[in-house]
Amino acid sequence: MAVIEVEALVKTYDQRNVVDGVSFTVDQGEIFGIVGPNGAGKTTIVESIEGLRRPDGGSIRVLGLEPIVDRLQLTQRVGAQLQESRLQDKVRVGEVLATYASFYRNPADWHELMDRFGLEGREQAKYGDLSGGQKQRLSAALALVGSPEIALLDELTTGLDPAARRSTWETVEQIRDSGVTVVLVTHYMDEAERLCDRIMVIVDGRDVTTGTPNELIAQAGFEHTLRFDPSVPIEDAIFSELPGVTGMRRNGGQITITGAGDVVYSVVLALAQGGVVARDLQIEQASLEDAYLALTSSNQEID
Amino acid sequence: MSATTKLTRMEARLFLREPISLFFGLIFPALLLYGLGSLFPGFTDPAAELNGARFIDVYAPVAIAFGTAMLGLSSLPPTLATYRQFGILRRLRTTPLHPARLLGAQMIVQGSVAVVSALAVVIVAAVAFDVPLPERALWFVISFLLTAASMFTTGLLIGSVTRTNQAAISIGMATWFPMLFFAGLWVPRAMMSSTLQRIADFTPLGAGVQAMSNAWFGSAPTALQIGVMVAYSVIVGLITVRAFRWE
Repeated sequence: MAVIEVEALVKTYDQRNVVDGVSFTVDQGEIFGIVGPNGAGKTTIVESIEGLRRPDGGSIRVLGLEPIVDRLQLTQRVGAQLQESRLQDKVRVGEVLATYASFYRNPADWHELMDRFGLEGREQAKYGDLSGGQKQRLSAALALVGSPEIALLDELTTGLDPAARRSTWETVEQIRDSGVTVVLVTHYMDEAERLCDRIMVIVDGRDVTTGTPNELIAQAGFEHTLRFDPSVPIEDAIFSELPGVTGMRRNGGQITITGAGDVVYSVVLALAQGGVVARDLQIEQASLEDAYLALTSSNQEID
Repeated sequence: MSATTKLTRMEARLFLREPISLFFGLIFPALLLYGLGSLFPGFTDPAAELNGARFIDVYAPVAIAFGTAMLGLSSLPPTLATYRQFGILRRLRTTPLHPARLLGAQMIVQGSVAVVSALAVVIVAAVAFDVPLPERALWFVISFLLTAASMFTTGLLIGSVTRTNQAAISIGMATWFPMLFFAGLWVPRAMMSSTLQRIADFTPLGAGVQAMSNAWFGSAPTALQIGVMVAYSVIVGLITVRAFRWE
């Protein structure tokens, strides 16, 4: 079931279409990623969903509501973490959570949120004394303090060190596991690949493509490679029939299979079903970053 | 507890955590008056240049105006600019609470500090220097509230048109000094030239000091004094409503 439906969204600044006919849907319970170069229009899309921007064209429905008209109702049901927003340096973690919780009809238990987001024992800490990761996790906790059905997270991990990013990823997964639909804006491909069920690539205000990480990699023409020594002799036909397999080579006892999409999964499954053990299995997979760079560079206008 | 109450409490605690604005906003006006009265010889004697009035009587309403203008022009604008710069107002727009409540909370907090700071001046004046308590109490309260309204709307306007904390501080200060000059901080009004007096009459803080001074010593404020402050607050308020940006 779609909880967000965006149809032909257009937003214009200074006669330039910053968002130029973007359409997508976000299904309930998924982590939906929006990726793209800086200035591609990602934040404008998210802010239009939040009701902070009035679209110049197209339509947006969030939980069946219209963000501008039904803004007050939506704020009860959609939580937002905004890019480049911070809190007062001297505000305490506990008091800001308690205050924001009081804005909502059905607030979450903010003590429990603090524990979930790794802020336990920091209730009295001042915002200015928190680490970068703690600040971002507090920001995410504030987005969830109203028990929203949808959380919009805009560049949650920008500026964090690798360890803080990892722990913030776990936070995002916990948000989804608690039944909240997540829209994640990011420009880190490892983050999108690890977290997102589906990803939309935005270039110059247009949605270039949308799909699972594997679909995007396949679309960009990247193939996966598997190399292994089968424990027992095995027919070529077992593999050539599999979905996604595009090539196969034998080198002595070693078999090399190339393919796109879910090829790794289908080969491993076929081996398991045939009771074959793949010795010295090596898998080379194109990363989402490879695919992203290919997809964005081929779609970027040359100035 | 309602959301607005909680938010106001949080803003109040934040204000109390800023020792500098706490000192200058809350204590400094009374301290200034006490310093003037106890350090300057002749400050508490009738003075010929003031037509027989005492300097301390003239400076008591000036000290109140000083504190109110301080809060309105140098504490409120950077707070608002910072809240916009930090995206706090924008974040509030994504919650069910309208960010106007945050402005309201700020006005309540800073306004309360202005009231306490004015009370402290009245008490210090009465206890230390035998200045009578304001004789026309109701007019005095009205004059004070209109002074505060004109300063706080000006502060809101500055906070609305500045993008950064630094810009808000600079413009606030640049407004504060001439306002204080015409209020009579450096030269009492009685010692100004008639041209300067005339200009002062049409500035909100000049009118405010005169209105408070009248009410303090037994006469009602003039229509011009009240009118200047009302007109100023309304006009600046309307401009602020048009100029204000949440982000």
